[in-house]
Amino acid sequence: MRRAFWLAAIPWVLAAILAGALRSGLVANPVLAWQADADLATLVLLGGLSLSGLAWLGCGLSWYWLRWSARALAAERERQAQDHQRFIRRLDHEMKNPLATLQVSLASLQSGPGQTLATAQEQVARLNRLLQGLRKLSDLDSYAMAAEPIDLTDLLGKAIAAAKSVPGWEGRNIELHPQRLPWSPPPVSGDEDLLLLAFYNLIDNACKFGGPDGSVQVRIGEDGAAVVVEVADNGPGIAERDLPHIFEELYRGEGARGIEGSGLGLALVKKAVERHGGTVAVRSRPGQGTVFVVRLPAKPSQ
Amino acid sequence: MSSRILLVDDERSFLDVLAPFLERAGFQVETAQDGETALQRLAECAPDVIVLDVMMPHVDGREVCRRLRTAGNWTPVILLTQVGGPAERAMSLEEGADDYINKPFDPGELVARIRAVLRRAQAGQRSLASASRLASGDLLIDRQAHRAWLAGQELPLKAKAFAVLEYLMLHAGEVIPRERLLDDVWGWDDAPMSRTVDVRIAELRRHLGDDADRPRFIETVPGAGYRFVGPVEVRA
Repeated sequence: MRRAFWLAAIPWVLAAILAGALRSGLVANPVLAWQADADLATLVLLGGLSLSGLAWLGCGLSWYWLRWSARALAAERERQAQDHQRFIRRLDHEMKNPLATLQVSLASLQSGPGQTLATAQEQVARLNRLLQGLRKLSDLDSYAMAAEPIDLTDLLGKAIAAAKSVPGWEGRNIELHPQRLPWSPPPVSGDEDLLLLAFYNLIDNACKFGGPDGSVQVRIGEDGAAVVVEVADNGPGIAERDLPHIFEELYRGEGARGIEGSGLGLALVKKAVERHGGTVAVRSRPGQGTVFVVRLPAKPSQ
Repeated sequence: MSSRILLVDDERSFLDVLAPFLERAGFQVETAQDGETALQRLAECAPDVIVLDVMMPHVDGREVCRRLRTAGNWTPVILLTQVGGPAERAMSLEEGADDYINKPFDPGELVARIRAVLRRAQAGQRSLASASRLASGDLLIDRQAHRAWLAGQELPLKAKAFAVLEYLMLHAGEVIPRERLLDDVWGWDDAPMSRTVDVRIAELRRHLGDDADRPRFIETVPGAGYRFVGPVEVRA
């Protein structure tokens, strides 16, 4: 943009040079001799100036237009985010009152016929968890993140330990493989609790979908200025048509039927990773397994 | 004599089930369906504790709470919050509520909170939640500035560690399960996080020079959670 402003000055500069030349008599003016009484130098100067003026006006207008449309776009995005948050808030409100009433009624009846009540209470708890999950996801947009240096190898160890402490998963085969390098991967900068939650979700997913005898491989390495973490399982894989959607809220692919889950875990992973300036991608082969790849920018060394 | 509760919520059906539940738990229950009525009933029935829904038309729960405190009324208030972001819940405590519980909740849990608040309350006195500076022995925290001092030395606490300390002090004497800390301080109660609570507590103890076996401040209650054991008082 700045260059365009300088370019727009060219006609004026040229005109000034020409006018100077005419004044000093360096150039004769045979073509415009009929106008001998007019001060040709002044005319040339004015002509150049008005050309430049027009060009400047054009530059100014287009610069203004660009800024205006960028602002309009940002405002639109902001508005969409607010709409979304408002929707979640309304949903929250609409569901919470009936749920609260149901939960108290059920608790009051607890002395009555056991099984039905227990099931009903479980369902209430489940709806409640769903609502909390949506809420949590929506809160992440405005969550105040810490910015501390984090050793991902250490953090992945914690996430794996947490997965192995889930009842029934004690004997699961979950392995951590650091990349074979003479040095360890650099730290990343961010919120340890949020990243722990994100990686736990990925490992938890791999355990759930990989099947009871499956193995889960967690690899960590560096690639340029990024730290790369892969979480791989050798389970049934994800159908190709599901792949583009699995990070969407409440999306449950075909393979997910019958497996307990909120449909919010991967959406949370994506949001958490993106808030750290990273990316998450997935590769999968039906019948062979799935790999999630998370790339996070390495913390620049001081 | 049983304690009297003023229960305020705009959902009739909710009052209809919750009031009998609280009565069976041994409380006398008065009800109101909006903020204005609540403020009137308050003068008539002089409750020991007010359970107040936040989302009500016209005068909402926060407003009722604010008006009470401005008028110098320190009757303990428990807010029933709807929008459960940690920031908003923290705001409840700043506005002078003594505790908050997220809808929907286990009514047994509400009864436990009411009892805890009643135990903490001293008639006519400011509650911990309405004070900006709290002290326990030589420990002092400033809730607005998010700073803490031990024997005059400022403690370099991280944001989460401070939030945990503040929460435990505000609920002094109560056993707080890890899940509740997570839910109220972090806003997440997912499985891997309960270790995170332990890590923060260990961090706090290190800063406070507190011995887990003979705690001055934070006690571990095995199988249950954590409890702030020191006496907590309001500092001007």
